[in-house]
Amino acid sequence: MSSSVSRFAVAMVTAASMAASACNTTPAAPATGSGPATEGAAPAAEPGVQLSALAPANIAKPRPKPPFELTGNWFIDTTESAEAWRFGPPYPKLTAAAQVHFDASQKAAKEGNVYRDDIGQCWPAGLPLIMTRYWPMAMVQIPTAIYMVSGFMNSLRIVYLDGRPHTEPDIIVRTYNGESIGTWEGDTLVVDTIGFRGDHHWMDQGGASIPAGEQLHIVERIRMINGGKQLEIEYTMTDPEYWEGEWKSTKRFNRVDDADIQEVSCLPDLNEHLQSTTSKVQVR
Amino acid sequence: MRKALLGCMLVVMLAGIAPLLAHHSPAAFDRTKEVTLKGTVKDFRWQNPHTWIEVNVPDEKGKVVLWGVELTSPTYLIRAGWKSNTIKPGDQVTVIVNPVRTGEPAGIFRKLILADGRELTERPARLGTPNAK
Repeated sequence: MSSSVSRFAVAMVTAASMAASACNTTPAAPATGSGPATEGAAPAAEPGVQLSALAPANIAKPRPKPPFELTGNWFIDTTESAEAWRFGPPYPKLTAAAQVHFDASQKAAKEGNVYRDDIGQCWPAGLPLIMTRYWPMAMVQIPTAIYMVSGFMNSLRIVYLDGRPHTEPDIIVRTYNGESIGTWEGDTLVVDTIGFRGDHHWMDQGGASIPAGEQLHIVERIRMINGGKQLEIEYTMTDPEYWEGEWKSTKRFNRVDDADIQEVSCLPDLNEHLQSTTSKVQVR
Repeated sequence: MRKALLGCMLVVMLAGIAPLLAHHSPAAFDRTKEVTLKGTVKDFRWQNPHTWIEVNVPDEKGKVVLWGVELTSPTYLIRAGWKSNTIKPGDQVTVIVNPVRTGEPAGIFRKLILADGRELTERPARLGTPNAK
């Protein structure tokens, strides 16, 4: 599955690049569609069906020029701390359902053990941790979306910018990176993400294991700073199943111009050769 | 120091290194200890997310113990001078690792010493951050 996801991710980025290129250089095709959503392109989507972010008719819609372009590779800034990948401490007040995991992970850490390292067992890191893995996040921005592919397991994240609403709760397909909708507010991109998987999904690990549940809601306020060399993302995260109120954290990411992401897969034989992942230190 | 394994020397080490944080937790390894493995390369896999080496190391009774050594990705190893053919099965090598805490024959990579004396390490997994911690 991982390799197919990987291939899909690479294909999506390639398609996004091609679409962006086409958007900039190619006139829109003649209109044949239904309503304003499909004006200027063919073939049309079915009535009532959301146009793909890669549909020429969607890309070609008139939109204000975005205040910045995220296209690039971004890596968590660890100038101040090697622990910058964490979103705490401080941590919010945990519910009893989360505290049991937090306490168990602290106990495991004190004993030299590793508590439920699901990422190490090839489960997706998911949002928010996928953003701060020690691998670059490649981002390709087109008018309708930002395609993000992590250098870590080629995890795919799409932020839709085309004005679509969130998918209805009864049909949304829950994922570890969730469904992200972005809107521009002045010089800030505000990204609202819901629709998360609530199993094998963690907000922190390594002695501070806090689960992420299906009620997880993440708002990211993204600004480009330092002349485009850094991104600053202010995270506001809620999940009443596991903590009270808002969990806030601000991260900075550095632009990486001297490395590209590669195909990375958690293949079935990987952990057979990484004995630490099957060691007795692992607490399931 | 009495050796638990022939060719394996346990050394208390004070300096830590940046955690290898990617596929799995680095907490399984005891960063305060080093084990020196002298043996024969069984396999070397140059791949993402982690490169790994398997080394057959004879113990004090002559029994061969297979050690697994976990390294970072080729992205960072290339920057430290590695190539996919830096080592191959059958090569005699010395590998220094931080072992897993349980005593199992596995560790995380610190240094490789080739038969000709060349030494290779790895770079911390950081990009775009010149003064990274």
